Amino acid sequence: MYQRVITVLVVAMAAGCVSSRIEQSREAATGMTADEAMVILGRASYNDHQTEESFTDCIAKILGKGPTPIRVIPDQEFKDNLYPWFEPRTAPTSADELGRLFAQPGVQDRIDEANVRYLAWIDGDTVTVDSGGSMSCTISTFGGGCFGMSYWEQDASYEASIWDLRNLTAAGQISADANGTSYLAGLILPIPILARPGNAACKGLANQLREFVIGD
Amino acid sequence: MSHLKYRTHLVAMVMVVILAGCTTNVIVEGTVPTPLVAKIPATIGVYFSDEFKTFEYKEVMRESGTWKINLGKQNLSFFQNLLSSMFNGVEEVPEPPFQSGEMQHLDGVIVPRIVKYGFLTPSISGLKFYSASIQYQILLYDRSGDIIGDWNIVGYGKSESGAFGADDALGEATLLAIRDGGARIAIEMSQQPQIATWLQNISSAGVE
Repeated sequence: MYQRVITVLVVAMAAGCVSSRIEQSREAATGMTADEAMVILGRASYNDHQTEESFTDCIAKILGKGPTPIRVIPDQEFKDNLYPWFEPRTAPTSADELGRLFAQPGVQDRIDEANVRYLAWIDGDTVTVDSGGSMSCTISTFGGGCFGMSYWEQDASYEASIWDLRNLTAAGQISADANGTSYLAGLILPIPILARPGNAACKGLANQLREFVIGD
Repeated sequence: MSHLKYRTHLVAMVMVVILAGCTTNVIVEGTVPTPLVAKIPATIGVYFSDEFKTFEYKEVMRESGTWKINLGKQNLSFFQNLLSSMFNGVEEVPEPPFQSGEMQHLDGVIVPRIVKYGFLTPSISGLKFYSASIQYQILLYDRSGDIIGDWNIVGYGKSESGAFGADDALGEATLLAIRDGGARIAIEMSQQPQIATWLQNISSAGVE
């Protein structure tokens, strides 16, 4: 009984509150067969912003599991097969450029060989928007402990642009925003109450992406 | 007071010695993709200098000690594969200048060189990434050994600091910089005015 109560308390403490919102806009009808595949790529640019690799990995992992798994081609394998056309500075920035890309020798053949139907570009990141509080920890010959409290608020904001590689068009966009505040309370022992907005955005976006590409 | 100053100096010296002794060795490794581009209708020679083949960059930073980045091996295999895929024929040749008539079976000779390598750690840039840049120079020689083209390209790469250790993250950023430079060479080489003129001359010589 005590063990259960402690487990529930630990889980409740470890999971902070996260609020998330998923929005979708569809530009074309979608659908895919079991042998067709999808690729998830993170947008990278040469400023201070880049979609985390862990985020695209998280989406690919979720899509590859569940009752209706989708065949997801690893991003590195896709980029190597289509080198040099999907590097950060050479990748198409809009679906309008797909026609020009597919006219390059061998590109259409490689996409057909891998049977890639959809490409989802993930753009966004998770940033700490606020932090505060203070906590100090001491240790001495008589023992030690932490006192105080600190917090940090994180905002995860991502958008997936889905391109249909068979019709060479944009199929739609899905955006995921999640916000949460984590706390670290020092009451002799440091007790973390962690919110994981990045994880919430990943789950929300992946599930919506699955519904989107499988179609109505 | 002077005793305190002496101790401060001693601690500072010890710190410097400790940091200098701390070396981060970065070995750049990764896949060598074959570029998917139309072949340039020319047979070329390529000269890889020993400096290019074994390129290593070393920098001592006050905050993080010595960094040694060994990118020569990966860079060489990347360029060998890149150029073989871009041209109808490629063979390795000795260093220019050439003996008279030595290169008559070739349309030209390419000599790639690393001009500059640089990197930033998150503590310097204030960003979440390790970033690297490589400036390449591509020299194009005609059969007689005269330089007819000189092209500079910069490849950039960056990698999250959280995902790997410092050495792996910088290795990844350097690998991405090699890929980026290679991508620009593969896509833009035939569009360079000097190289376009050279190709025109080759094709008109072939017609004659």
